[in-house]
Amino acid sequence: MSIQTASDVPMIELKNVNKHFGSLHVLKDISLSVKKGEVVVIIGPSGSGKSTLCRTINRLETIDSGEIWFDGAKLPEEGRELANLRSQIGMVFQSFNLFAHMSVLDNMTLAPTSVRRVPKAEARAEAMRLLERVGVGDQAHKVPAELSGGQQQRAAIARALAMHPKAMLFDEPTSALDPEMIGEVLNVMTELAREGMTMVIVTHEMNFARRVSDRVIFMDGGSIVEENTPEAFFSHPRTRRAADFLQSIQK
Amino acid sequence: MSGGTSIRDRLYEQPGPRTRRRVAAFTVVALIGLGILIYLIVRQFAEQGQLEVRYWDFFLKWSTWRFLLTGLLSTLRAALTAAVIAIALGFVMMRGKLQRNPVPRWIAVAAIEFTRGVPTLLLIYFFFLVLPRMGVNIGAFWRITLPCAISASGIIAEAFRAGVNAVPKGQTEAALSLGMSPLLTFYRVVFPQAIRFVIPSLIAELVIVLKDTTFAYVVSYADLMQKAKVLITSHDSLVSVYLVVAVIYILINYALNKLSDRMARRMNRTVAPAKVL
Ligand SMILES: Nc1ncnc2c1ncn2[C@@H]1O[C@H](COP(=O)(O)OP(=O)(O)O)[C@@H](O)[C@H]1O
Ligand SMILES: [Mg+2]
Repeated sequence: MSIQTASDVPMIELKNVNKHFGSLHVLKDISLSVKKGEVVVIIGPSGSGKSTLCRTINRLETIDSGEIWFDGAKLPEEGRELANLRSQIGMVFQSFNLFAHMSVLDNMTLAPTSVRRVPKAEARAEAMRLLERVGVGDQAHKVPAELSGGQQQRAAIARALAMHPKAMLFDEPTSALDPEMIGEVLNVMTELAREGMTMVIVTHEMNFARRVSDRVIFMDGGSIVEENTPEAFFSHPRTRRAADFLQSIQK
Repeated sequence: MSGGTSIRDRLYEQPGPRTRRRVAAFTVVALIGLGILIYLIVRQFAEQGQLEVRYWDFFLKWSTWRFLLTGLLSTLRAALTAAVIAIALGFVMMRGKLQRNPVPRWIAVAAIEFTRGVPTLLLIYFFFLVLPRMGVNIGAFWRITLPCAISASGIIAEAFRAGVNAVPKGQTEAALSLGMSPLLTFYRVVFPQAIRFVIPSLIAELVIVLKDTTFAYVVSYADLMQKAKVLITSHDSLVSVYLVVAVIYILINYALNKLSDRMARRMNRTVAPAKVL
């Protein structure tokens, strides 16, 4: 028995989490642990509860029973503590959700200046660095609607990074994109993974999942049906349902 | 959806040639009808002697206009004050109704339903007759301004709420996920976007407030309408004065409506709507 060190503590841990929408049991006794620096991909048919699972981790969805822990602390229920926790978890949405009424640059600096009290000039400098890094530095002064979908999503990733999160959640980040823009977003994510970011990614991009993930979670009907290494999952899945699903998406 | 289109442009498709011909024909018929109507009215007035010089010549005097204009200024002052108060009240009611805590929510709902349901004139009588009996004495200005404001506040609250609800949920979720508090999220992300949906109905409400202030005669506040009544008595000229005053009200409200259209269009252009997926 060794003493637990900080790096042994999982970044994200769900213990027996249950969630209902009315009579619909969306999350059925979910237990999942994500180590620091680990990249976990969640795969599964539409309606299986992937988004809901993702959203419980920063409490955009509340849970009915079970526990969720983030970096050694239990998820606070409300108030300043909850906001503080959320600021440590970046989230990227399918529909980008950049603030429509402000420039990309203001999108980047709003949370750092208002939540973390970072001085304006400093926040802007950092924002520009991040925007350059994801390749949309030249779009900083436009409003989101003037950007392509791929540019918006890259800016949204940069916006999340501006809070220096300890982990990032991605809920189908490329599903709303035209095919030719998917690659540019996946490239940014691949680079993040390579730098050691802890990531939970819901995606239908199987090649990307196989290349980037450390572990694949397969969900169906609100349960985790299979947990596997990407190699094993994609070449010889253990469960029948996973095999059927993989079959169905290979046209 | 492109930025510069108004609601009207979105509802109606571009007219084709046949539609355009029909519109043109209809316009001609309508104009002829309108001409006949005006002719009949003018003839009626002429027969009744309303067009006689003595009913109109005092409009050539500057003093008449100065008299009316001071009334107009009072009207505008009352309407503007009432509008500012109504917007403030409406905002507070909207915030109340959107609270999760049921106590403020219920108070707000009751206030909104009450102010929407009760006629302005009844409120004016309350401020004019009931409050003084209870020992509360406020000047004529507030006796017209406050009832008009209260009467408009509930509708404004609902307009605000509709605007807030029209902002896509993802905007709130993105802000919360960045660690912004619900309050900060509301003031920095949701409300600034809601306001652009609200401005047209806000200005429409302002027009109603302006019209409501014509009740000022009840409380003897010297607004445009009150001044008009004085002119009518002193010159014994009902029709001409009413006509002129009606035109003044129409012009102001027309200007307000134009302003509302312009602002709606400008807002649509500068803050392009969030991409709907
Ligand atoms: N806010 C909600 N209210 C009611 N039902 C919901 C809500 N959000 C999701 N659901 C339902 O929960 C189930 C799981 O949804 P979701 O987590 O979005 O699945 P996935 O992301 O895997 O497609 C679906 O049946 C969906 O219709
Ligand atoms: Mg989903």
